[in-house]
Amino acid sequence: MEDKTRLAVEQALKHGADYAEARAQRDFGHTLTLNNGIPEPVTVTRRLGIGIRVIVDGSMGFASTNSLESSQIRTAAETAVKIARAATRLISKPSELAPEKSCEDKWEVRMKVDIGEVSIEEKLDVLFSIEKALSLDQVNVSLPSRILLLDDELTEKFYLNSEGSKIRGIVPRISLFFILTAEETGKGTIQRMRHEAQSRGWEAVKEWDPPALATGEARMLGRMLREGKQPPTGEIDLVLGSEVTGIICHESCGHPQEADRILGREGAQAGESYVTREMLGKRIGSEHVTIIDDPTLPNSYGFYMYDDEGVRAKPRTLIKDGVIFDFLHNRETAAEFGVSSNAAARSIAYDREPIIRMGNTFMKPEDYTLDELVEDVERGVYMKSFMEWNIDDRRYNQRYVGLEAYAIENGKIAMPVRNPILEVTTPGLYGSVDAVGKEMEFAGATCGKGDPQQGAPVWTGGPPIRIRKIRLGG
Amino acid sequence: MNSILTACKKLGVASVAVGFTRSRDEMVRFSNNSVTVVNSWQNEVPSIYLASEGKRAACRIEDENVNFEVIARELADSMKVMPRGDVDFDLPAGPFAYQEIEGIYDKRLTEIDSGLVDAAETAINSAIKAGAERVSGVVISGSWEHFVLTSAGAEGSSKGTGIEITVRGFAASDATGQGISIATNLSRFHPAEAGSMAGTIARKARGATNGTSGKFNVVFGPAIFADLVDRAADSASAYSVDLGLSFLHDSIGKRVASEKFTLYDNGRLPNGPGSIGLDDEGYPTGETHLITRGTLENYLHTSYTAAKHNSRLTGSAQFEGGAAGMVPTPRNLIVEPGEQQFEDLLDRAQSGLYITNNWYTRFQNYQTGDFSTICRDGVFEIRNGKLGNPVKGLRVSDNMIRILQSIEMLSKERHWIRWWEVPTPTLTPYVLVRDVGITTANK
Repeated sequence: MEDKTRLAVEQALKHGADYAEARAQRDFGHTLTLNNGIPEPVTVTRRLGIGIRVIVDGSMGFASTNSLESSQIRTAAETAVKIARAATRLISKPSELAPEKSCEDKWEVRMKVDIGEVSIEEKLDVLFSIEKALSLDQVNVSLPSRILLLDDELTEKFYLNSEGSKIRGIVPRISLFFILTAEETGKGTIQRMRHEAQSRGWEAVKEWDPPALATGEARMLGRMLREGKQPPTGEIDLVLGSEVTGIICHESCGHPQEADRILGREGAQAGESYVTREMLGKRIGSEHVTIIDDPTLPNSYGFYMYDDEGVRAKPRTLIKDGVIFDFLHNRETAAEFGVSSNAAARSIAYDREPIIRMGNTFMKPEDYTLDELVEDVERGVYMKSFMEWNIDDRRYNQRYVGLEAYAIENGKIAMPVRNPILEVTTPGLYGSVDAVGKEMEFAGATCGKGDPQQGAPVWTGGPPIRIRKIRLGG
Repeated sequence: MNSILTACKKLGVASVAVGFTRSRDEMVRFSNNSVTVVNSWQNEVPSIYLASEGKRAACRIEDENVNFEVIARELADSMKVMPRGDVDFDLPAGPFAYQEIEGIYDKRLTEIDSGLVDAAETAINSAIKAGAERVSGVVISGSWEHFVLTSAGAEGSSKGTGIEITVRGFAASDATGQGISIATNLSRFHPAEAGSMAGTIARKARGATNGTSGKFNVVFGPAIFADLVDRAADSASAYSVDLGLSFLHDSIGKRVASEKFTLYDNGRLPNGPGSIGLDDEGYPTGETHLITRGTLENYLHTSYTAAKHNSRLTGSAQFEGGAAGMVPTPRNLIVEPGEQQFEDLLDRAQSGLYITNNWYTRFQNYQTGDFSTICRDGVFEIRNGKLGNPVKGLRVSDNMIRILQSIEMLSKERHWIRWWEVPTPTLTPYVLVRDVGITTANK
């Protein structure tokens, strides 16, 4: 890959680029799915190509090809320069990149058990073991629909730029995803999605214990259907489980604090942000709220050591003690803000430009156990997981509909409640957090952004948290 | 393609569909009235789909170093360890005659070069003239050629071009509007109109106050209604039905919508942005009536799902990467128009909301159709049958079947919609729906 990326960069410079970078990327993997016990097609991923990004007179161009023949690379490099140059007349502010020291490095997430060496049969066996465990007599609820999916992918990237940086990275990803539909006569249906994912080898699967995961969820669905009551009305307190904390951090902190969104670059697609650059240092929540995005968490689904601009990854504290503390930057936004990049540039494939993405976003734990969070609630709801969610394109008005949820009465978790709705503004939510738990959990997710869309692997997570004086929606 | 087919057949696989797509696309993205990046892609991608005894395997090969015989063997070997599928099926038996589709190939779009920057500039200027201060958007054009060869004797190709623009105007950070133009040939591409619509809605959305929750008569603009239609079409895919992710399950022959609502898919629509002469199993595309005067008539099928549902083919098989293999997919969704003008819909509503666009639709339960979606861009009160003040901060929180069944009036005027949030080209009017659930943040 090195000689191909070098050729690409050299050609781009030859045609007049002021800056050039090339990234060759290979993705190799499998996806297996069981639908109600019947295998869907085994699909095999085989992708290899090169993406070339240039800056020409302040205009940014990107071209890619899935051929590594020298003639095709030359054509792609020339195209990137040509299209960038053609757009210069409609540039009001030239693209600049914040300076970075060039570096050379290699990194790899090592697998104990190579996912490439695990047979299709063994992977199918995992799915069939889940299917078998979901029988009616074992989970005590009818599951008319069961979608079980196992996905593995090994990604190798080689990055080289005209400033002398040269980075090779290899990362495996493994993912278990299922959607269960439970049904109870007279009670209707209920659905649950669950995603476990890591940057790791096959050893992750055994640790997950997939049948236990799935049966636990199925039994919960049965209980929610049979016993779930209407949630309480009026003003209550809410304890949110780790899963809900995680999605909140991702949607209403990670996304609005992506600097490209703040600058309006996603305005026609994923939207802008209620956060402005002047809001750095402004209080947005209680002093209990500290939210971090960290791509370097070992074996996390959003793991990387260098971003796709060759910048070394590190944790980024986005909100610190309730105050907006930092944004996610690539080199372009860092130049605009007069700071250094904090390595947020990611691309999911050879044919996608790198854009600002999260890695693993979570709320920093404090010191409450779940029981301690609950015992100080006289009347409330514990929302452990969710199914439906969305947030507006400025990341201000968000909604989470509970799936596994329980009433809290006089400091104790009581009966299940159906579909409590948290519909709240971002400052309203963060400003109401009065206690944060200590037990951390993460969930896998595929975050959508960019045009064309790029689904980036990430983790969302945190501890349980408590928020005060909220009225549930309807 | 023949060598891939031969390699697969040698392995004893009963059914083989080989696809090959050659494509060239260029995209200009802009924000704050300025180009941010220009993208160019040039790809040649083969795909393989195998089936035997109901078992299936698939691969899209974006790696030119791959030895096809090795991949074919890997796919065939993976099928050997799978249990027998739930239904035996064959690929459609060819040969077939594929008629040319009028208007989907424009040579000018294969050489557009700096024309995209011109289109972006036109849209920006038009949006500003109409009242926006800042304009963001994306314009993309491309050409493609697609070939299919199957073991069942189908062999054919189709080619097309496309150009489309999405424009978003900002008159303030919370006063926005969107305009779209999509076409298969330059003559039908109107970036100025798209820009003008975006700027006009943004200007009118200035000064929006927070709306209230409740049940409202809603006039849905084409952009938001296209999203709802796309969800309905997705539910009408037999694949979604089989996965338990369809609110139209077990509903063939049943009333699922108002009798005023008719929706069909047409893969060979002249000038259709999604038109193509053949599907990825080599079957000719065609017209499939999904919902006719409120009654669900058909699901979309591949040969596998058609065999499973004992139904006819619909020319809808599309090779998808990822988990799915071959999936029944709509090409051009068409909502039959009504007779009324947009103003007639407002008048019939008397009071309520006019919602121009939406974003981030998510389901609480795909089978029941309970969902919510954020209102995006201009939202306006309807008072005494006329447009009133702009409002903001609203969410549609309702049920898909209830919405479809509560359609009361459709306009004669229709618009083509396809954008980041609506992947299938959809031609839809303005639509009045009664008693739509609207919610707002509680804190």
